[in-house]
Amino acid sequence: MRTILFALAGASLFGQVQYGDLLRPKPENWVHYSGQYHSQRHSGLRQITASNVKRLTPQWIYHVDSARRLESVPIVVDGVMYFTNPNEVYALDARTGREIWRYERQPALQKGPNRGAAVYGNRVYIGTPDAHLVALDARNGSLLWETKIAEASEGYWSPAAPMVIKDKVIMGIAPSDHGLNGFLDAYDANTGERLWRWHAIPRPGEPHNDTWAGDSWKTGGGGTWLTGSYDPELNLLYWGTGNPAPDFDGDVRKGDNLYTECIVALDADTGKMKWFFQTTPWDVHDWDAVEIPILVDTPYQGKMRKLLVQGNRNGFYYVLDRVTGEFLLGTPFIKELNWASGLTAKGRPIRVEGVIPSLKGTKTCPATSGATNWMSPAYNPDTKWFYIVAQEGCGINTKSRDTFRPGGNSFMGTGYVESPEEPWQMYIRALDVTTGKLQWEYKQINSRRYAAGLLSTAGGLIFGGDDQGFLTALDARTGKALWSFNTGQQISAQPITYSAGGKQYVAIANGSNIVAFALFE
Amino acid sequence: MADVFYLAMRFQWIVLACVLSLACLAQQRGRGGRRVRFDAAEAREGRDIYNRSCTMCHGLDGAAGDRAPALGAQRRYLRATTEELLDAIKNGIKGTNMPASPAMAEGDIRKVTAFIHSLRATAVDLDVPGDAAAGQALFQGKAGCAKCHMVNGQGGILGPDLSNLGAERSLAAIRESLTIAKPTPPRGFQPVTVTTVAGKRIEGLMKNQHNTSFQILGLDEKLYLLTAGEVREMSYGKTSLMPTGVEKRMNEAEFQNLLAYLSRLARSRR
Repeated sequence: MRTILFALAGASLFGQVQYGDLLRPKPENWVHYSGQYHSQRHSGLRQITASNVKRLTPQWIYHVDSARRLESVPIVVDGVMYFTNPNEVYALDARTGREIWRYERQPALQKGPNRGAAVYGNRVYIGTPDAHLVALDARNGSLLWETKIAEASEGYWSPAAPMVIKDKVIMGIAPSDHGLNGFLDAYDANTGERLWRWHAIPRPGEPHNDTWAGDSWKTGGGGTWLTGSYDPELNLLYWGTGNPAPDFDGDVRKGDNLYTECIVALDADTGKMKWFFQTTPWDVHDWDAVEIPILVDTPYQGKMRKLLVQGNRNGFYYVLDRVTGEFLLGTPFIKELNWASGLTAKGRPIRVEGVIPSLKGTKTCPATSGATNWMSPAYNPDTKWFYIVAQEGCGINTKSRDTFRPGGNSFMGTGYVESPEEPWQMYIRALDVTTGKLQWEYKQINSRRYAAGLLSTAGGLIFGGDDQGFLTALDARTGKALWSFNTGQQISAQPITYSAGGKQYVAIANGSNIVAFALFE
Repeated sequence: MADVFYLAMRFQWIVLACVLSLACLAQQRGRGGRRVRFDAAEAREGRDIYNRSCTMCHGLDGAAGDRAPALGAQRRYLRATTEELLDAIKNGIKGTNMPASPAMAEGDIRKVTAFIHSLRATAVDLDVPGDAAAGQALFQGKAGCAKCHMVNGQGGILGPDLSNLGAERSLAAIRESLTIAKPTPPRGFQPVTVTTVAGKRIEGLMKNQHNTSFQILGLDEKLYLLTAGEVREMSYGKTSLMPTGVEKRMNEAEFQNLLAYLSRLARSRR
């Protein structure tokens, strides 16, 4: 009987992904970079629980020959996994890890990482190192069309996973550190034609261009190199923007430097900005605000609110009203924070004088690598806690005068080194979503920087990983480690979960592999 | 242990051979990796000169002869560049039967060289005669090619995507694939019929397989992913779904138009 049931599941048809499947994904699938439009990275699957997670064992490993440090998030649709490496897409049988097809872009500009694909209809979409948006046939990997997003020769590239909304593909751009101005684009999902572009740096005559001294707006930065979130009811896209350039030398770009280091809300149909909130005005520490914004509907101070929460690279946890952009709360989620003494009632940081890069070097906490970074956070609607990967550590930040040179040269105005006084240390932390109060923390001993992102499941688990290669399952309520597996290579990607053939899997990229786990039978 | 080592060595050579033949298929390149340019009109003249002058040893139209090798076979050439070929024809190849041709006119040597390049070139370089637009209409229409083959995002998905065919294959290889049946279906395109344990019948192409699982693209253009335990019965088709004798199902001019269209399929450079 069991075999027959499996056979039925096994013979599952590859269905087209309709907009409804993107709006309300089936729990067995993982159709967005962050799981769903609200980016909570919480799965309804509950086969794997706190009581049986000890039985989690690897089911298959897929090795990507050309990969070194994968940061891609797999997409899973009805038993097919789509997985990327720069210039490459792999379609795998999600139960067995066997390859169905692969796409390799030629000629291929080498630049990494790639963070993943998006799916819609019978198509798979990716961004490329030469700043193109590429559409493939999801069934055999045939190239359907490609659209140039920006000039690769200027230094632009497209590492972010696209997001599909209705018939549009939303696509960000990198980098900020080369003095290239960022934007967010929407493309026709059928033809690849560009429908709108929102410019992250206002041009002369546009509001807030005066937040840039002189002509500094021309090389302002503000990349959009991670994937944002979407509220279908409000029809608003929420995206974080990157740092201003040159990163560490703020003297040449006095002003708030809008809309760098912002969370922006854009009308999904037109790309028009509805509101923005700047986390770090006049940033001089390269604290991109691109971290995944999580959308949560929950009572806040007695009133039901549509919230947007973000753990920012600058060390603060922010709670905003996502209808209006109103700042509700901001509180540090790290202990080592020396650049601001707090936030004003409007959420603007109260700067500590002197904590800016200098010729000799200035101790700055958090470090430029950030209190957190591209590692995705998660939200569990059962605990109502926000889970974040946090780094405690400080840098010595220096500055010098840099010259903008077009063609993809870095325009940083110097950088940072690790402070010798405090060793860097990674944590997974649980915060109350409305107060930001620490509920528990899990210290990733001997892990110093970056890590895996987080996954929350209805089985009461938080999955995380570290740069030493361990994938770990924590109890979502206590933070106690219940299971751990040494995958053998550094983990820099985000875990996902899906179900195929009646079995729940947890999968993550580690180093040059992708590994899928399920309960031992 | 020795057997394992032997197999590993053998496998290495197979991989190397595949890589080399793929490289030859992809583009005719000289030593420096640059694409070899030649004049198509000169190559046509060169063919006549070659057939007059070189077929004492080499075969007709560059095929293998009784005393000398084929010039257009898909292998790694010791002499690939124009300069190397000119030198071989003019001065011969020492230590072989290839004689010098001191009496041959410089212009004729150049034309023979162009002809040899054309044998080794991919189809897009050849300026194949015929009405490519009419060939495209045929491809998309009554010849039925587009039911299985995609070109620039249009067409079926069962057969290989042909968008870059002319830049990857020689004219001879394209002609062959239309006219001569392959001894076995290419990997990834073997027809298969499966009956599952649940009683479902699936007809399709085996994209990938192992003792433990099968990844099939159904003729209905859907993916079927099965583990071995879910399969009751499976039988493989011996011949590819690609029809052969295409030239017999249309007139000569139509076939030439189809070749003209297919040979021009090359993705525009980014």
